[in-house]
Amino acid sequence: MSRLITWAAVLVAFVAVPFYLEGFWLQTGLFAMSAAVGAIGINLLTGATGQLSMGHAFFLAVGAYAYVSFSDDLGLPTPIAAVLAVLLAGVAGGLFSPIAGRLRGAYLGIATLALIFGGQHLLFNVEHVTGGFNGRAVPPLEIFGFAFADAPELILMNVPFGALERLWFLGGALLLLAALFARGVLRGRPGRAMNTIRDHEIAAGVMGVPVTRYRAGAFVLSSMYGGLAGVMLALVFQRTVPDYFGILLSLDYLAMIVIGGLGSVGGAVIGAVFVSLLPQLLTRYSDALPLVSAPGSGGVSPAEAARLLYGAAVVGVVLFLPGGLLGLLRSLRLRLPSLPTPLPDTRSSHVS
Amino acid sequence: MTVRFAGLTALDAVSFTVEPGTVHAVIGPNGAGKSTCFNVLSGVYRATTGSVRFGTAELTSLRPHEVAALGVARTFQNIALSPRLPVRDNLLLGRHRLTRAGFVASGLRLPGARREERAHLARVAEIAEFVGLGAHLASPVGLLPYGVQKRVELARALAMEPKLLLLDEPVAGMNSGERVEMAELIVSVKRSLGISILLVEHDMGMVMRLADRVTVLDFGKRIADGPPDEVRADPKVIGAYLGES
Ligand SMILES: Nc1ncnc2c1ncn2[C@@H]1O[C@H](COP(=O)(O)OP(=O)(O)OP(=O)(O)O)[C@@H](O)[C@H]1O
Ligand SMILES: [Mg+2]
Repeated sequence: MSRLITWAAVLVAFVAVPFYLEGFWLQTGLFAMSAAVGAIGINLLTGATGQLSMGHAFFLAVGAYAYVSFSDDLGLPTPIAAVLAVLLAGVAGGLFSPIAGRLRGAYLGIATLALIFGGQHLLFNVEHVTGGFNGRAVPPLEIFGFAFADAPELILMNVPFGALERLWFLGGALLLLAALFARGVLRGRPGRAMNTIRDHEIAAGVMGVPVTRYRAGAFVLSSMYGGLAGVMLALVFQRTVPDYFGILLSLDYLAMIVIGGLGSVGGAVIGAVFVSLLPQLLTRYSDALPLVSAPGSGGVSPAEAARLLYGAAVVGVVLFLPGGLLGLLRSLRLRLPSLPTPLPDTRSSHVS
Repeated sequence: MTVRFAGLTALDAVSFTVEPGTVHAVIGPNGAGKSTCFNVLSGVYRATTGSVRFGTAELTSLRPHEVAALGVARTFQNIALSPRLPVRDNLLLGRHRLTRAGFVASGLRLPGARREERAHLARVAEIAEFVGLGAHLASPVGLLPYGVQKRVELARALAMEPKLLLLDEPVAGMNSGERVEMAELIVSVKRSLGISILLVEHDMGMVMRLADRVTVLDFGKRIADGPPDEVRADPKVIGAYLGES
């Protein structure tokens, strides 16, 4: 019952946001939603299956650029372009899966670096598809004649509903669906197989789990989550920029799941929100903060400050919070007897 | 079968037959090659030469999950469970080969996947009850005492509904009370489920009580094979054990 009330409150707050907050915060929130979808994906692979990937940014790039290319170059309806872009990210993951299935843990992490460097090369050089250095403009999504763009004008309760306001609800819905799907996977038969591969690979095989196939499957699934995150990111940013999809983005994703909590959906979402919000908060309040200065004016830029801060957060979590922020929230709730105590999520765990 | 690691022959032309429905013990001093033998039987290691047959199936070149699919289950000498998952999920993993739900069916929570999960959860609860783990289904395995974890290992193997069960030192590290319980459990597994059991154990008393037949290994070689009483009286066996301790 109280769980229902919590969710109802979350829903009301979520719906209210576009009516009260300005564009800057909406955009930040949308980046966080996209990041959350991507982080769920890498948590399925790295947190739940114990397979490190440094190549997650590559699959975001596949999703983002494929969406643009399918809709603008091939002239496909944008929703179909979006679905195909996610599938293409899955295919790209599938092409890599002979490697992803056979390499274990950190070795896969090293191999996936190749994806990042290869991907960057393609993004800069296959100009007729990627637009090269300048990237490409992203066509707005249009579903049954409803455009997720500023035009045509739409006003709800005296609030102009532009692209960001409209995307807010789409992003929320996609994140919810992505989270529920991942939770189903993790709590079901595939999740148990993945967790056992992480905890004891030999035991997994002996218990009947085809280890190579499951590693490949987890890699493909995580690629598709990356692709969806890429499509969402493109829609929000309205432009694809090749630089963005580099090694730093992959590291951001690893930071998210370590900070939030490895192996669980909730951990991925919390970590994504933390890592996405931090640079924006610092940018917004840079004048009020010591040491942090506006970008380009010398001193530590907000983006750099944010990276330093969550670098410190990663170290802090690894040393002091084995369950990540999610684990911290849970233990706080366990200490407050008035709140309902959920079953401990035993799925979150460190890569071993 | 013969198994060689770089410069070391862990098993040297060892051969034996397990009769259906019996408890067959493999004993021998430390490093004799008992676990290596299990690893070959379960597909974890590949024999350098030789062959392993299970009924009419040839196991020698199969991978572990393919061996499991034929109905061969095993436990590990060192506990190999998922410590953060509850007992229930560890046992459900044993049902992997008997269930179907894949990524899509589980992600979308399709009715078939949910029905399957419910049915197998019920069977897992029965098995847990049988093994004396009924009260622990929801506890994370890592929080349970060692002796109980050993029983979870056995229960997970039983959850596979195997035809052949390989037990690698099921009572190692247990106190005497726990040993007796485990021995009784193995007897009742044999009686009520009719499974063939291959048992590696150092506890001689237990081996002599449980086993229908005993194979003795020493330095990778088979030095004796026969009924317990015969093996116990064999001078080569006495030599190997006295020489060790
Ligand atoms: N993967 C491996 N690589 C190299 N050597 C191995 C490997 N596995 C086992 N050995 C060696 O093979 C020999 C037999 O080991 P095994 O584990 O089968 O012995 P065991 O009879 O089970 O002993 P214990 O009673 O101590 O469990 C040992 O000398 C061991 O060091
Ligand atoms: Mg051994």
